[in-house]
Amino acid sequence: MAWWQILLLTLYAGLEILDELQIYSSLNTPVGAGLIAGLIMGNLPAGLFIGASMQLTVLGVGTFGGASRIDATTGTVLATAFSVSIKGMSPQVAISSIAVPVATIMVELDVLARFANTYFSHRIDHLIDEEHINYKAVERNVLYGALPWSLSRAVPVFIALAFGQGLVQTIANALNGDLLWLGNGLTVAGATLPAVGFAILLRYLPIKKHAAYLILGFTVTTLFSVLFSSIQTLATGVAAANKSFTATFNGLPMLAVALLGLALAILHYKNIPLKSAAQKTVSQSNANDDEGEITDDEL
Amino acid sequence: MTNSKPKYKLTDKDFNQINRRSLFGYQLGWNYERMQNSGYLYTILPQLRKIYGDDTPELREMMKTHMQFFNTSNFFNTIITGLDLAVEENEGIAGKDTVTGMKVGLMGSFAAIGDSIFASLIPAIFGALAASMAHEGNPTGVIIWVAVCLLICVFRWKQLRIAYKQGVSLVTDMRDQLNALTDSATVLGVFMVGALVATMVNIKFAWVPQIGKVSMNIQNNLDMIIPKLLPAAVVAFVYWLLGKKGMSSTKVIFIVLILCVILGGTGIIAKI
Repeated sequence: MAWWQILLLTLYAGLEILDELQIYSSLNTPVGAGLIAGLIMGNLPAGLFIGASMQLTVLGVGTFGGASRIDATTGTVLATAFSVSIKGMSPQVAISSIAVPVATIMVELDVLARFANTYFSHRIDHLIDEEHINYKAVERNVLYGALPWSLSRAVPVFIALAFGQGLVQTIANALNGDLLWLGNGLTVAGATLPAVGFAILLRYLPIKKHAAYLILGFTVTTLFSVLFSSIQTLATGVAAANKSFTATFNGLPMLAVALLGLALAILHYKNIPLKSAAQKTVSQSNANDDEGEITDDEL
Repeated sequence: MTNSKPKYKLTDKDFNQINRRSLFGYQLGWNYERMQNSGYLYTILPQLRKIYGDDTPELREMMKTHMQFFNTSNFFNTIITGLDLAVEENEGIAGKDTVTGMKVGLMGSFAAIGDSIFASLIPAIFGALAASMAHEGNPTGVIIWVAVCLLICVFRWKQLRIAYKQGVSLVTDMRDQLNALTDSATVLGVFMVGALVATMVNIKFAWVPQIGKVSMNIQNNLDMIIPKLLPAAVVAFVYWLLGKKGMSSTKVIFIVLILCVILGGTGIIAKI
């Protein structure tokens, strides 16, 4: 890894969390991290693959409500960097042996950042109590909060990238040598982890109500994906047997599947009865029902 | 309290300033004690100063009020800000209790709606699309997601003024619309999860037990029932696991990791 790659990845790690807190451009998500880390490391497919797997693993994890959650973005950055730069560290193994443990440890640093910001909040309290309020200082102390957030990501990424390469190389050698069975197991884990994300998401979504769509999505896609991959296999076989066979077949386009789902959603929306004016007054009087409900649902 | 009615009217410049501060500074001060308190104050401090005047006891009082506990979805916070400023602009310090009640009353429901849309639905739909394309090395899905996020930012920019103009009735009007939209988006979300289970969990049975002289190809037998049965079973198992008491998502991830290392290491299950 070149020094500028370490620097850029560190910079990204520091900015990514600010993006998540503020604009939420989605470049702060694991799959966005995979894109950027892949570009920086010069291996876009590896970055995207690791980012995609981590994205799916945490698909339903966490809310914005304030609970710390597993930091799959930082995990993706480190896994991509090491997977590209360390010989023998495949993306699959990097997911389960680097990305997941890193993502879990990073939760502690997230907690630390949130504690650190309590200090600035107290400083604002003191500023307001002073005889002449220094308004600029109040605003500055809000913005200082960016520092704990940024550093909590940037510092560990920098340390890991700058000093961790030897350790990761040792692990990679072991997984390909004496501990080959463990390497195989970790590869399977990397392929299975997305299932966790789906299950967590299903816990959040009202699947009892919408079970029909779940079955439909699964069945339609299963049939199509088997069909598409069978045709691809067939085409490869025919092309090997007959040189004049040049047609190419691509895999199942997920965007098409998503559009099918969109059509169903539109149909569903059209079938929701519009509330009449009379019902509206009723809902207005019920508007205060959920007062004081603070939802910090932590999984 | 004579002369407590402020005379200041918010201008376009004020709205832009609040939106800028909300988009770039709202959650920087997030802390465990009072969460978004300082962020809320930060977004409207210049306007408070204009409404009450610098160094007045009213301003100090309202600054303290806004430093109280506050936490809501950072996608909807400016709706509450808009409602709040409409009250403070008209009633000044006399509206303090109204403002406090409104903030406390609305933050919970907006947090809940915001989380279900922006933490569950949008990732389920666009995150899943981005991930399934990225899995094949195609970055288009990520770019689509970024475009959607920018569109969302446009809405976040506009909602402040709408809330300020329409007042509290907006919240009840919006609730029906939002509920209908959320419910329909959920349909798409659930459909996508079904599609993802079928394509993104790439594992199969590799174990071929010998019964006498006949070898039994488990995967092939399962495929004849329905393809992708193993991924569906794994998701169902994790779903069941998550329902257990004291189970967290992190714990589940590690349980799956360990089980996979055992089943993969012994060669019962393999990656496709």
